[in-house]
Amino acid sequence: MEGDWQQLLQSIFLGLIFAYLLARLISIVVSFKDDNLTVTRARTAPTEPNLARTKPEDPTRPADAGALLHEADSVVAEHGSVRNESEPGSDDDWEGVESTELDELFSAATAFVAAAAADRQKVSTESQLQLYGLYKIATEGPCSVPQPSALKMTARAKWQAWQKLGAMPPEDAMEKYLDIVSELYPTWTAGLTVKSKGEDGSSFGNDSKGPMGPVFSTFVYEEESENDSKMDAIHAFAREGEVDNLLKCIDSGVSVDAKDSEGRTPLHWAVDRGHLNMAEMLVSRNADVNAKDNEGQTALHYAAVCEREGIAEYLVKNNADTNVKDNDGNSPSDLCESNWPWLQRAKE
Amino acid sequence: MGDNNSPPGSPKEADHDSDASQLAKDESSLETIVRKFQDSMPVGKRHTFWETQPVGQFKDLGDVSLPEGPIEPPTPLSEVKQEPYNLPSQYEWTTCDLDSEETCTEVYNLLKNNYVEDDENMFRFNYSKEFLRWALHPPGYYRSWHIGVRAKTNKKLVAFITGVPARIRVRDEIVKMAEINFLCVHKKLRSKRLAPVMIKEVTRRVHLENIWQAAYTAGVVLPTPITTCQYWHRSLNPKKLIDVGFSRLGARMTMSRTIKLYKLPDSPATPGFRKMELHDVPAVTRLLRNYLSQFVVAPDFDENDVEHWLLPEENVVDSYLVESPETHEITDFCSFYTLPSSILGNQNYSILKAAYSYYNVSTKTPLLQLMNDALIVAKQKDFDVFNALDVMQNESFLKELKFGPGDGQLHYYLYNYRMRNALKPAELGLVLL
Repeated sequence: MEGDWQQLLQSIFLGLIFAYLLARLISIVVSFKDDNLTVTRARTAPTEPNLARTKPEDPTRPADAGALLHEADSVVAEHGSVRNESEPGSDDDWEGVESTELDELFSAATAFVAAAAADRQKVSTESQLQLYGLYKIATEGPCSVPQPSALKMTARAKWQAWQKLGAMPPEDAMEKYLDIVSELYPTWTAGLTVKSKGEDGSSFGNDSKGPMGPVFSTFVYEEESENDSKMDAIHAFAREGEVDNLLKCIDSGVSVDAKDSEGRTPLHWAVDRGHLNMAEMLVSRNADVNAKDNEGQTALHYAAVCEREGIAEYLVKNNADTNVKDNDGNSPSDLCESNWPWLQRAKE
Repeated sequence: MGDNNSPPGSPKEADHDSDASQLAKDESSLETIVRKFQDSMPVGKRHTFWETQPVGQFKDLGDVSLPEGPIEPPTPLSEVKQEPYNLPSQYEWTTCDLDSEETCTEVYNLLKNNYVEDDENMFRFNYSKEFLRWALHPPGYYRSWHIGVRAKTNKKLVAFITGVPARIRVRDEIVKMAEINFLCVHKKLRSKRLAPVMIKEVTRRVHLENIWQAAYTAGVVLPTPITTCQYWHRSLNPKKLIDVGFSRLGARMTMSRTIKLYKLPDSPATPGFRKMELHDVPAVTRLLRNYLSQFVVAPDFDENDVEHWLLPEENVVDSYLVESPETHEITDFCSFYTLPSSILGNQNYSILKAAYSYYNVSTKTPLLQLMNDALIVAKQKDFDVFNALDVMQNESFLKELKFGPGDGQLHYYLYNYRMRNALKPAELGLVLL
């Protein structure tokens, strides 16, 4: 019995040692494989943007794929957005000329792969070489460069991957490339659509500022200089045309003619921003049509200065005084650039 | 680009290997990569293309041992590549004759639909046909420098780039240069990467004329700007500018007050202020040459150039001068060019009419008053906005005349000509269209 025990313990012991050694071996193999793959990937980042072609003397430059792509796009980004505005009548006959959806998707996929490579996502060497070969076919066509020497194993493997695809049509190469990318990163397009919503998905690297030429500039938005001016919620609602909120204000007891720090009433603000419906509502709530701001101007002055004809006409019909002078002595029609006969007539 | 984009395999990143592999199948990490990648797109700090070109390189900045002047000597003309660069097989080169109404219309439409937009894609330059002819037909122009790309199948014009010859003075040297402009690729071809080959082709054709330097501008930073200018805008029609989103109304600011703020007198204030005429060309040339001599980089205009670039042409360029009522001497000069833009997706307005400050010289009339008169005539001519760069002495009037800063920076570049130091905008006397 005792012998049996001993034997059992012994075999358990040996089993444990064996298991431990096996685990070590596996972990060594795995980590070695990882390292090895890493190194391989660094040399075979499968995307080289076309610009690499502009340097034929160096066809297998070590690919800092990310940097190259950025460069390609800062140089190559053409002007403007890529919203698909349809120019009427010009959308026929673009077959074979325009960048197809396939082009766009392929271009996006190569960029993605480069980014993934830069971020050290694991892909088998085999897949990398496949992607490399397909990329070369899609962008440069059949392999016509001489075979690298047998000593340059990576370069040779890449060359073989390209060369063995023969005269595959570029479209097929793009399709296959996309298939492989989709298999490796099933979610890669999801990431794309998330980001490119609203800019049409096809604008990879299309900076509106192109590589050369003029620049379209608009005003920088500057925070107000009139910092000391104060207004209440009711003025803001009038300014923004928020009728419901403004009604709530009035119903809660705020005066319809409440003045802000510049003496403006909600009606001034509504007219200034051109909200006719708001003006109508305020007048229907008995707002003072002829209330003056600190400069002596009425809502009709505002309408005249801002050339809001419909509103001005409405105010006049609702008893706005056309002869009222502001502190500078100007009547609304004095300030009006346009010629509104009904305002002139009223003046005379 | 920072650390995220250091080359794969760099030792620094090896430590993160295991982390990366754990995340490999994780969706969110993929999105992170996509985002990281896209965020870094517009700010490429390495310029593989431009590093191969004879332009001032970032690494040489401030290296005083390098001489100013041409970076590469001219090569014998026989060694300039005689055949055009290869285009992708579906496309072919074409030379665009702007005198042909048909070709001019094609170029106009290509640019109108595909050229430069603002950051938010609300506006797109809409250079008129008359403007294009004016910009591309200066004295001594080369038709071969007006380069188009057509699709072989349907002959559609799909891309364009131009050069025009100019004599530009850099300090004491007068250098024959090409001014490169109007690089445009059809929106449907944006992933075809045509721009670099177009830049190389125009360079080749410039070389064939035995010209080895060029001047150009860009909204992006490339190696290496000789100066970086800022756009300023003066509202002439504030209500329209606000309605179309060119400018914004602060929450506490009223439209009424804004309109009053930008109001201008009905007519110019300076006695003797009048439109430039053909017989003024010699006097304006003298005035301008003398004025431009103070800037480090400026065009070397002769009378032919002045007649072409500055004699008023309807809807292209406006020039005014001050003729002394007593002596009839021409003492001051101002000019602006007309560059409308399409307003994209606004129901009420389709065109933004912008005047761009061109060359201005003041000797007797204060520059501030002269430019205010320029604003007044621009307003009379129904321009919506008056734009100016902070080049030459413009800074002295911008704020006072109620110009506001723009979001656009314009970088100026020279090709194959090294400047030891970057210039201040006020040292630049050159306006490219």
